[in-house]
Amino acid sequence: MSPDRTPPGRRFPRWVYDVGTEPDARFSLANERTFLAWARTGLALLAGGVALEALALPVEPGLRLAAAVVLVVLGTLAPAVAWWGWVSTERAMRRGDPLPAPVGFVLLVAGVGVAGVLVLVGLLRA
Amino acid sequence: MTAPAGLAAERTALAWRRTALGLVAGSVAAGRLLAETWGASAWAVTAAGTTLAVVLLRAARRRRTGVHGRAAATLDAAEGTVRRDPGGRLVAACAAALLLLGCCALVVVVTWPR
Repeated sequence: MSPDRTPPGRRFPRWVYDVGTEPDARFSLANERTFLAWARTGLALLAGGVALEALALPVEPGLRLAAAVVLVVLGTLAPAVAWWGWVSTERAMRRGDPLPAPVGFVLLVAGVGVAGVLVLVGLLRA
Repeated sequence: MTAPAGLAAERTALAWRRTALGLVAGSVAAGRLLAETWGASAWAVTAAGTTLAVVLLRAARRRRTGVHGRAAATLDAAEGTVRRDPGGRLVAACAAALLLLGCCALVVVVTWPR
């Protein structure tokens, strides 16, 4: 059975599609793009964290590892945040509720800030 | 006057492609970096990432041509009451794959020889 034949009641996840009514397709597509933007952000965070360690940059090793771990943990949380955002936005749109407040912005900004400070201090101390 | 829904579907397809490209670039870079420590077996990372990207691309294209293409056409016909959206399966699969990738990256970073 091709996916476009999926009857409305059987779409995954049920706890998203069983509520409310169908929103404008354009809004669902925009929600999907927001998810993908988060996914790419996560990929970039992972790349940054791995590169920090793997390229043996001239940063004090302890601080470098700490910064790398912060970036990689953020990059690992990003897809979870992305999924949660997609789900809660889709549900809100189906119900006609106001959109939920963005999740994860504070975490992302704080984490990237902390990693930046760690690298900066590590560079000065190296 | 609103933008045609076809453009939204197009933008979404492009976003999927961009994400898949990022995944390929990331996995090639990871393979190259890890090869210095792990030897040739590191290229398995590249193979896995590229395979995942191809799977995402194919699934996203099926969505666009089959599903969103149709939904867009319906909307453009100014009705758009019946829509056959496959839902969040691909979204969930993408998130799960990236979560797994993140866990692998965490192991790599913590166990990196120094």
